[in-house]
Amino acid sequence: MATIHNEIDDWLAADLHGDLSDAERSALHAHLLDCAACRKAHQETKTMNKILEETLAQEKPDLQFEQRMLAGFRSRVPQRSGPIKLLSDLMRLRAAQIAAVAAVLLGLVQLGRMITGENAIAPRARDRFANEQLFEQQPAQLADTSEPDSAGSLAKTDELAAGKPKDLALAAPLATSENRLRLNKEFQSLPATVAPAKAVKTEMAARETGGQTEAMNHAAQPSAAEPPVTELANRKLIRNASVELEIVSFDDAVQKITAFANEERGYVATTDSQKQANGKLRGEVVVKVLPENLDRFLQKIRGLGELKNQTLGTEDVTKAYFDTDARLKNARVMEQRLIDMLQTKTGKVSDLLQVEKELGRVREQIEKMQGELKYWDSQVQFATVTISLAEKDMEEPAAFLIKEHAQLALYGPDVEKIYNDIKALASPKVQVTNAQLNRDYLGQVSARISILIAPEESGAVVDRVKKFGRVENFQTQTERIAQGGEGMSENAKTKRDKVELNITISREEQEQAFQQTSLRIRTSSVDEKAKELRALAEKQGGRIRSSAFSRDPDGREFANVSLRVPMKNYPALMQSLNSLGKVENVSVQRQDRTGAQIDEANAPADISIQIYRQGNIVSHESGLLATLRRTLAQSAGAIMWSLRMIGVAVAFLAPWVIAIFAIVWIAKRLMRAKRKL
Amino acid sequence: MDASEREQCRAAIQGDREAFEMIIRTQSRTLFAIAYGILQNREEAEDVAQDVLVKAWKTRWRVRDPEKFPAWLAAIARHQAHDVFRKRRTVPLSEETIEAIGPEPTDTISLDQQLHSALAALPELHRAALTLRYFEEMDYRTIEKTLGLTNGALRGILGRALASMRKQLRPALASMD
Repeated sequence: MATIHNEIDDWLAADLHGDLSDAERSALHAHLLDCAACRKAHQETKTMNKILEETLAQEKPDLQFEQRMLAGFRSRVPQRSGPIKLLSDLMRLRAAQIAAVAAVLLGLVQLGRMITGENAIAPRARDRFANEQLFEQQPAQLADTSEPDSAGSLAKTDELAAGKPKDLALAAPLATSENRLRLNKEFQSLPATVAPAKAVKTEMAARETGGQTEAMNHAAQPSAAEPPVTELANRKLIRNASVELEIVSFDDAVQKITAFANEERGYVATTDSQKQANGKLRGEVVVKVLPENLDRFLQKIRGLGELKNQTLGTEDVTKAYFDTDARLKNARVMEQRLIDMLQTKTGKVSDLLQVEKELGRVREQIEKMQGELKYWDSQVQFATVTISLAEKDMEEPAAFLIKEHAQLALYGPDVEKIYNDIKALASPKVQVTNAQLNRDYLGQVSARISILIAPEESGAVVDRVKKFGRVENFQTQTERIAQGGEGMSENAKTKRDKVELNITISREEQEQAFQQTSLRIRTSSVDEKAKELRALAEKQGGRIRSSAFSRDPDGREFANVSLRVPMKNYPALMQSLNSLGKVENVSVQRQDRTGAQIDEANAPADISIQIYRQGNIVSHESGLLATLRRTLAQSAGAIMWSLRMIGVAVAFLAPWVIAIFAIVWIAKRLMRAKRKL
Repeated sequence: MDASEREQCRAAIQGDREAFEMIIRTQSRTLFAIAYGILQNREEAEDVAQDVLVKAWKTRWRVRDPEKFPAWLAAIARHQAHDVFRKRRTVPLSEETIEAIGPEPTDTISLDQQLHSALAALPELHRAALTLRYFEEMDYRTIEKTLGLTNGALRGILGRALASMRKQLRPALASMD
């Protein structure tokens, strides 16, 4: 019973609360009989329980508690009513939930289609939709046809003002048919928000009359256009036109324009003309004609030449005109009143002076306004036509200038002498514009001269310059420059301009060889033959540019000689070289320079010659020992190489071999294990 | 929980207001008991019970298993009461009120007050278990289920609670006997 004693508190509580089974209760009571301490605890607990029951009974919620809770809940969570409740009730059904999800998905799919631009209409629905569209379009068309009408009639009124009744005469007789008039009324009475079906019906009716809706639309015009006619008489319109024409002869055109202006009861206000460098005329004629004759006048003018540009403008100054007119009338009244004041002559002198001053101001205003009105009157009375005239082939050049540029390179032994010689050529017709002499750090001189030569002298001067040295790369360039225009012209004059000559002078050595030859001569005595070569070269007018001699340990000797001879002596020199020894490895390289004039006979040719002796061909390392050593070394190398190859092969195969052995070993072990089992 | 109760809970979870109101009738006293156990104040406990019901209605969709609905309500009540209790504690009393209350005369403390202070000294869970037992006279199984306790745990809890109170109130008990 140790457990009961240890857990007596739990047991006592459970006993009081009726949680003990019969067996447990008898066990507890048995223990309580035995144990005094537990009995005391039992007693205390019973009292405790009683107190708790009594005290807490007071704290129990009253009978209205549930009602309060319900009421509070109802007031704080108002009951949904009507459609929302119905909806929430409906949403409680599984079927409704599925349907809602399906609807949302469908909606999303449609939305996606709309976004991606795919046609979202089901095929069957499409036909219906097309019908609806048709019905909607028809009234729209009706509106379209009626709208331009009003616009058209407005445009016509403008033309009326210009005194040019064009289509109206045609349109008016068409409007007689009674039937059409009735239809027309029907059309006008149609409200803007007409039901589609009704509009369609009307349209059908219109079609029945034989597709004459258009004619009928014209019929609507006179009634709309008539009232403005009377109104327009009082309007102040300034008409301006500007025309750009290309004509053959300026004078002819001006004469004809004057004639046309007279015909249309106008006059030529101003003319001005300018003569271009190529003899062509360009100008402007300003003509004033009566506004009503303006269109006819423009028609006539177009016949004069090719029309490049035409603008027609109308400025309405009616408001400004009548404003000024009214102000003028007021000012006149004011003036009269001031005059009356002066005539009665009452008041102080200073007052009279004041009146006089005011009168002056008013009169000035009157004059200004009168001027304005007169100006407007003149502008309104006559339309201004500005005609820009230009003769054909305006861009043709007046003259051509031939410009010549020449440049040449001179090579000579004494650069300074040539430089001074060229400078000495200077005369009024040969002018040196730029001359410079450069000396580099090696003491080599080069020069650059630019000369301007009068055209008639150019040939002779260039020839003289060419004689000063060896000419290389003579280039001329001729340019034909059109003046005062562009393109071709048959009668333009041609003039030669000064010739510009640029000369560069360099030392001969700097000239690039026209031809380069290299060869070897095998001989037994190098030194001697080299000397002979020099003699030969000098005989052929050549110059030695460099020479070198060397001997290597094997007893081989080399003499490298490079020399330059004029091209004309080149074949002879090459021939004579054969006498020196065996000529080998001849290679010739030639640089053809295109586009340059070259004095080929005197052009330099470079030859570089190697004279050599072979020396001892047999190696010092000979004999049996050396041969043995070499053989051993080679075989040792071969062995090392094969060893390396074997190593590579082993490294390559080893993992596979190990793996295979491992598998075989494991398989064997398994077999053995199985057999044992 | 019998089948009709479970059906009622299921309907309430799905938003059947009448079913929920039925549950209010049956469960609100339990909720009050839990709240009172923690707070020891009738007005506050009643407010808590009310709040718990509203909160439960709004978040009823969180409960998957209708079987656990009453336990879930009890859990909300415990949390809510605990929150209120904590807030009440953190409000500091101004000096004036302390003076107005004055020092408690120790010799005139009634048994009732002693009992309350002894109750206050118990852990929250113990107090809730006690009130559930004494207010609603629930059997041990139901209390365990409501408070989310394992089978047989309540015996220890109530035993310790009674013993602890018994020890605190021993002088008073002695005088009573």
